This record gives sequence, C-alpha cells and structure tokens, in this order.
Amino acid sequence: MSLRQKLLLLFSLTVAAAVAAVAWTVLVRIRQVFEQRDQEETALFVNQFQREFQHRSADVVAAIDRLAASEHMRAAAFAIAQSGDTSPYLTEAQAMAQDAQLDFLEIVGPDGKVVSSAQWPARFGYPEPAAVRAGQAAFLKSEDLPDGTTALGLFAVRTVRGAEPAVTLVGGERLDAAFLSDLPVAPGMTVALYSDPSAANGASATLFDAQHLVGTAGAVTGASRYQPLIDAARKSGQQTSAILYLTDRREESVNATAIPLKNDSGALPAVLIVSLSRGGMVEAQQHIRAIAYGVASGGILLAIVLSLWIAARVSRPIEELARAAEAVAEGDWETHVPERGRDEVSVLARSFNHMTGQLAAQREQLVQTERVAAWRELARRLAHELKNPLFPLQLTVENLARARALPEAEFEEVFRESTATLGAEIANLKTIIGRFSDFSKMPKPQLERVDAKDAIERVRALYEPTASKEAGAIHFAMDMADEPMPMYADPELLHRALSNLVLNAMDAMPEGGVLTLSAHSHSGQIEMRVADTGEGLTPEECERLFTPYYTTKQHGTGLGLAIVQSVVTDHGGTIAVESREGGGAAFILTLPRVQE
Amino acid sequence: MRWTVLRRCVISCALLMLVLPAAARTRPHYGGTLRVEIAGDPWQRPDGLARRLVFDGLTAIGTDGAVKPALAVEWSADDDDHRWQFRLRPGVHFQDGTPLTSVNAAAALNAACPSNCPWTAVRAVGSAVVFVGDAPMPALPALLADDAFRLALTINAEGKTPEGSVGTGPFQVAGFNNSVLTLTANENCWQGRPFVDSVELRVHRAVRDQWLDLSVGRADMVEVSAEMTRQAQQQRLNVIAQPDATLLALQVNDSGPLANPILRTALAEAIDRSALANVIFQKQGEPVAGLLPQRVSGYAFLFPVERDLNRAHELRGGLSLPPLTMSAESGDAAMQLAAQRIALDLHEAGFTVQMVAGNELRTNLTLRRFMLEGGAPGAMLETVLRAANEQPAVIGDGPADLYQAEHEALERHTLIPLLDLPRAYAVGARVRDLRLNADGEPDIANASLEDAP
Repeated sequence: MSLRQKLLLLFSLTVAAAVAAVAWTVLVRIRQVFEQRDQEETALFVNQFQREFQHRSADVVAAIDRLAASEHMRAAAFAIAQSGDTSPYLTEAQAMAQDAQLDFLEIVGPDGKVVSSAQWPARFGYPEPAAVRAGQAAFLKSEDLPDGTTALGLFAVRTVRGAEPAVTLVGGERLDAAFLSDLPVAPGMTVALYSDPSAANGASATLFDAQHLVGTAGAVTGASRYQPLIDAARKSGQQTSAILYLTDRREESVNATAIPLKNDSGALPAVLIVSLSRGGMVEAQQHIRAIAYGVASGGILLAIVLSLWIAARVSRPIEELARAAEAVAEGDWETHVPERGRDEVSVLARSFNHMTGQLAAQREQLVQTERVAAWRELARRLAHELKNPLFPLQLTVENLARARALPEAEFEEVFRESTATLGAEIANLKTIIGRFSDFSKMPKPQLERVDAKDAIERVRALYEPTASKEAGAIHFAMDMADEPMPMYADPELLHRALSNLVLNAMDAMPEGGVLTLSAHSHSGQIEMRVADTGEGLTPEECERLFTPYYTTKQHGTGLGLAIVQSVVTDHGGTIAVESREGGGAAFILTLPRVQE
Repeated sequence: MRWTVLRRCVISCALLMLVLPAAARTRPHYGGTLRVEIAGDPWQRPDGLARRLVFDGLTAIGTDGAVKPALAVEWSADDDDHRWQFRLRPGVHFQDGTPLTSVNAAAALNAACPSNCPWTAVRAVGSAVVFVGDAPMPALPALLADDAFRLALTINAEGKTPEGSVGTGPFQVAGFNNSVLTLTANENCWQGRPFVDSVELRVHRAVRDQWLDLSVGRADMVEVSAEMTRQAQQQRLNVIAQPDATLLALQVNDSGPLANPILRTALAEAIDRSALANVIFQKQGEPVAGLLPQRVSGYAFLFPVERDLNRAHELRGGLSLPPLTMSAESGDAAMQLAAQRIALDLHEAGFTVQMVAGNELRTNLTLRRFMLEGGAPGAMLETVLRAANEQPAVIGDGPADLYQAEHEALERHTLIPLLDLPRAYAVGARVRDLRLNADGEPDIANASLEDAP
C-alpha cells in the first residue's frame, strides 16, 4: 500500500468515524426527545380520554335517572306495584331504551324479576340480581344476550320514585365498537376494548382471546400484538404503557396505554386500550435520519476528496523524492526534485538535490581520477610493453654498429642475426600495437540466434587438442544441460570472449589441471561458466580484474577481460568471477535466454 | 192532568223516533265498498282472506260448527267409509260463466291437493264427485270444508286455463293495483249476491297502520293479533274475536338430535306455557297441552299444561346435545318473542337452542300456528295433523276414539301444543252484521255497510 493510500485511508477513517459519532449522538438525542414528547402527549390524551370515559359513565347514570323520574315510568311503576300485572309492560323497556339511546334497559318488578327487557325481551320473569344495586355509581356488568353471547356494559340502577314496593330500572350502554366510536379521539389515536365478560361476574380471568378485542371498526387487526400489554394490565390491575409494533415496520407502531376497567367488586372485566400512532414521530425521525445520513455521507465524501488532495499534496514531494532516489539508484545522477515551500519535505528535497549534486561532482572527480589512472596505467603498460622489445632492438642496433668493425663474413653473420632480431622485435611491437588497436575498435554486435552449447563446443574444439598435448596437459571437462539454450548473440564476439576466458584459464594452469566448461539455463537466463583449477585470485585482484590494462600476468596487456566485459555488456548480460586463493577461479557469463 | 198527558205523548213520540231508526238498522243495505286491510297475503293459507271470498268448498262449517252443504248438496258413504260420493249442486257457475261440473270439480280438487290427501283418488262419476280411500274416511265431509279444498277453476268451458283466480264464491277478482286487491260482488253466486258491491283488500299493511286507517275512517275492517287484542280494547276499538281459532304449537323434527322421544318429552315439559299466554300474548291465549280446544273435544283438561322443569332435567338425563335450531313460522314480533322465550325455557332445562331465520323444515324446532278448521273434532284433528305433515290415524266417531287418536299423536311429541289463540278483527262503525265463523274467518258475504245507498 502506497503512502498516499495509507494517508487517504487514515484521513477517511478518521473523518468517517468522527461524522458517524456525531450523527449517532444527534440521532440518539433526537430519538430520546421525540419519545419523551410522544409519551407526554400520550399521557395527556389518555387523561383526557379517561375523563371522557367518566363523563360517559355519568351520562348513563343521568339517563337512567331521567327515565326513573319520568311521569310515564312512574305511572307504570305505580300500576305494576298496585296491580301486580306486568304483562302490559312487556315491550316498554324497548321503547324507553330507544328513546334514551341506551343499549340495555330492564324494568325490574318489586319481586326482583324482569318485567321488560330491551336487550332480551323474552327474559321477562327472570330475576335480575343487579336490581339491588340501586343508587350506586355506574359499574361494569356482563349481560347475556339472546344469541348466546355475552356483552359488557356500563350500567346504572335506579329506583322509580313514588312506587311502593319499588320498581327499578337497570340500564346501560354497551361497551362495543359503537361505544368506542362515539368517544372523541385525537388524530392518530385509536381506542380498543378488551372485554372478558366472565370476569365481570366474579369468575377468574380467562386467557387472552384476540376475538374479545374490538376497536371502533370491529375486530382489531393484529390483536395478538396487544396481548403482552393487556396481560400486564390485567395482572397488575394498574395502568400500563408500552410501545407496540403492529407490524415489522417501525412507523406502524403505537404508544399504547392499557387502562384496566374495574367493577365495584374489584374484578377486572375489561381493559381499555388507548393507542397513539407513532407513525408521524417515526416518519419525522426517519426524515431527520435521512437528512443526517445525507449530510454525513456528503461530509464523508467531501472528506475523502479532501483526503485525496491532502494525501496527494503531502505525498507528492515524497513520491518525487522516491522516484528521484530510484533514478539515482539506476545511475541517473542528474536527477533533481522540485523544492516547494519551506517545510521539512522541502528541506529534504533540497538536501536530496544537494546530495545528488555532490554525488555527481564526486563521480566526475572519480571519473577524472580513474581516467588519469587509466592513462597512467596505459602509459605504464605501453612503456612496459614497448620497453621490452626496444631493449633488444637497442642491443641489436649497438651490436650491428660494433659489427662494422668485424670482418665481412662475421659482419654478414651478425647482420643476419641482427636483422632477424630486429624483425622479430618489430613484429612484437606490431602485435602489441594491434591489441591496443583492437580494443579501441570493438565492433557493434551482429545478433543472431545462437545456442550456448554450440558456442562452448566451438571453443572446446579449438583449444582442447592443443592444450592436451602440451607438457602441462589440461583436461577439458564439459557440464552441459540437455535442453537447448538459445540466445541472441554475435557468434564471433561471443567466441572471442569465451576464447579469452579459456586462454586465461589455460594461462592460470601452467602445470596442467582441469578446465571446466558448463552451460545451464534458469530463470530466463543462460549461465555459461569457465572454471580452472589454478591458483585462484585474491579479493583485491577480483575487484580490479575487469579494469582495462590491469593484468596479473607477466606479459599480458590487461585487455582480455576488459574485452570480455565489453562483449557481455553489449549483449545485455553480466560477468562475474568466483575465486578463492589456491582454489581456482570461475568466470560466469549470464546472458538473456530467448523467450519462446 | 193535561200537561201530564201531553208530557206522556211527547215522551212516547220521542221514544218512537228513537225506535224507528233502530228498526231500520235491522234491514241490511246492498251496496258500498268494504275496505279491509290485512298484514299477510290474501291468497296464502292459512290467513288467505281472498280464498274464502272467491272460492267455495263442497261442504262448509256453519257458525254452530256443524258441517253443512255448499257446492255439494248431499253425500253418502259406502264400503265402510272407503268410498264417498258427493252430488253437486245443480246450476252453479264459476264467475267466468263456466258451469260447475263433476269433471272440473274433480280437477280442482286434484289441483288443490296434489299429495298427502285424505283420499286416494277423486274422480267424476256422472254429476257426482267420488272419493276413494285406502283407509276409511269418516270425517271426509268435514275435511272438505277446509280452506285447502276450495275449488278453483282449472279449465274453463273453452278448454283453456283461466286468467287469474276464478271460483264460485260471493266475490270475484276485479283487479290488483297499488297493493289493493279489488273484489266485486258475484251477482250470480249460488248463495245469493253479497250485500256489499265490492271489497277492497289492502294487503301487506302493517298492523299499526291498519289501526290508524281504521281510526281515521280509511278502513272498515283491520286485523287484531292476539297479543294486541287487549290493547285494541283499551283503545276502544270495536273488536270481534273468535276464541280458540288458532293453535300455537312447537313442531319437533324427530330426526337428528331429537330422534329420541324421551328428549322430545323433556322439551314439552320444559316450556312455560303460562308465561307465553300471560305476558307475550297478553292473557289472550289459553295454555293447552292438547291439539283440540276444550270446547271442541271436552277432554283437553286431561292433558297437563304446567311446566315441570325437574322432570325435564330427569328426562334429559344429563345428556349433552348439540345446539338445537329453532325458527318461527311467522316473522311477526310475537312469534319471534315466543320462540325466544321457548329457547330460554329450554336453555333452563339444559338444551342449547339457536334461533335461525331459515327453512322451517331444516330446523329442529319450529314454532307454528295451525288453523283450527273442520268443525267436527275428528276433522279438526286430522286437519291439524295433516298441516303438520303427519299421517293421521283413522279417527272413529266416538269421544273415546278421538281421545285415543289425539293421545297417540301427542305421545309422539312431534307436535307440542302450547296455546289456543283467538282470531280477532276490529271493525269500523259503518260495518253491520259482520260475524266470525267457527274458525275465526270473517263472514264478509253476509256483512253490509251502514251508509250504503
């Protein structure tokens, strides 16, 4: 991972974490505030609703009071009390209930038996136990109906004035969907009633039954979701609130309050559920969350862009320095990096430029020094090479001059010997000069497909016959891979390089030895090795071995290995030497293999 | 003294002036339109008033309850009451002019009773109509007075099916418009022309509206149901009633959960008849446990009417039954309320009853009204049993035979008698001489109007 990428990642993560932390904090706080407001609003509505419910109870009591005080009812009660004949009033309760808009109304005679029943006209003559509760406040009571069902109602009992013995009215309003729909509800508020009629008459509470839960529109969808709340309210007998999720969607949740409705015996026949939709609040939260996410996403994107810019700004000088360093490493000592600003990176850039400048100057000095040294070495070598043939030439010329005083015959003999010597030494001088001339005129290689094995075999075939017959016999050993080892090379130059190495190896083994020629291919390279079993080279000799005109031999020009190095370099290869003192030496040529 | 004589003369004259109009009232006038309102259908049995006015039977029941000749002038039985021959009244014509013959009489009887008839076959033999039965038919003349066996013309003199209802009765159909069936007097009626020129029968009229129309003079005769008779009297309406004209009974389907006769007995024991009679029917009904009224049979008191809830529980024996279904034959409020009360009574006895508004034949219990027609006790019993789709046994002439037949029918507990109810009508001030027959039907043909020209 590059520095820029690291910087980008670091900056982005930092900004993203910061934005996320801020967004989370804001959202949590907003949610808390919303829910607190929602609960306060729900509590307010629940209180209003409870008051309205109490008003309805008072309305029922007032309606029964009015009926009991009416002249019509008083006359009927008087007639019943006097005659004991209740049959004329069989349908009286229905008409009165209709007028008073009551769901339940029963006229109960002095004997405690029903004279007329609005909700179950056929129930005349049956006892009505609730008649003894005359004068009490409204209470909850379950009422059997002709269809076999039981309904829960809000009842009041009043005695009809003036009649002795007393005739009572037992009437009330049914707690059902119609009752709920008449209650004023705030927008978003829904009310439902869970009734357990068996509990109203003192029986133990039954298990939750979703069919007993009705809303203003009848059956409540997803009634089972209310079960925990209703069960909690029925168990505790206290008002209980909870957030209920009616579906898997959050916006379809309600803040529900279960209000247990007790009768005077303490039984809990019904639970009123007031639910306030959280849809608006959730939608507002979602809206705010969407905005927060949008802002956070935008911030993160902006942070990434800024991080990119900053990372680029910070890393660019360092990357330039890195590229410049690589260029310097590859030999481009003239590389410079721009120097911007006055920060640490610019100081580093200036130092780098200064360093490369110093290196280039030192290299120039070194080249100059090397060049001078080379010229000195060349001069020394030339002087040394030329001094050897010149000394015989001087002696021969002096002998020839002194021989003019000798007789003709002796002079002739001396003259012949002297001219022969002069010719030989002059030829020697030509040879020396030709070698130097050859080194200066190294041709450009003419590349063609050559097999390494063929090149090595050609050298072995040239030198093995001669070397093996001399007094110090040299044995040639071959170590070749079986596979073809093609490469692009100039055959003559390669042959010349290999010949130089073989001749050097033969010179290194005057007492004879083993000269090993090998060729192997690996990693896309062909490695050709020429090894001898001579005395080997010292580390210092190894370091200077390829310096032109450097030689370890008495009569060498110091150009052989320089020529070999020049040829190898021109072919894109390398040359190396492995040696230890007394352990022989091995020269390794590494050239690129043809990629097939 | 003279003043005394003079005063006596004046008083005598005044009394004479009062007596003369009274004497005039004794002579009925012809003419006028009698306006009758009913809640039901005019043709549908058992309350089809128009049937009585348009059609006649071979026999009829007199006001004394005895069988009297109608379209048949005489009859005789052969072969131990297996074969009856009725000689038709000569010179009788249907309202479209088609003469009454034994052929169209037999065709009309076959059309009136396609199945479950008291006879096996009926055919025309000369001028007589002959009934043949597999079983003895001792009460056939009384049975033929039943409303079900009135003769409606099926094929006229031209061999075609007549349009509308054509009979031999005192009135003929003139038209039906705006829920009013207009009947006009049959000038050629064999019984003689009725007093009124026409009868306007307003049908499907609510009882409260009928009373209102009567009170404001828009109707001359309206219905009064049993449970409202008391109220009508309190409102000082002129009510004419025939007690014991209708039997209220609970018909029990003896298949299904009530196949066990003991359970059916438990049902009969569980019902509180007095609550029905005293409260729902406002003391106008008579609790009964027999099919025939006391005035007809003379032994109805032998069947106990008291509720015995403990015995009902014992008979049920703690057996758990599926919910029983019950319906009321008529949709009127009293019948529905009575059915609900019976359901409540049965609930106390451990039966669960659900009220349904469906086909009576598909329910386990059906509350029904039966017209007590037929005059003679045997015929009346047979009529009731046939109306209940039960095959009556041969009923002998004597009271013991009648008791035996009724006792056997009651022992099956497929028809539980509850109340004998009256039939009543309220009539306006201008209606004269309107009486009810023994079965409670008004004798409109012999009624007249006070203000007729």
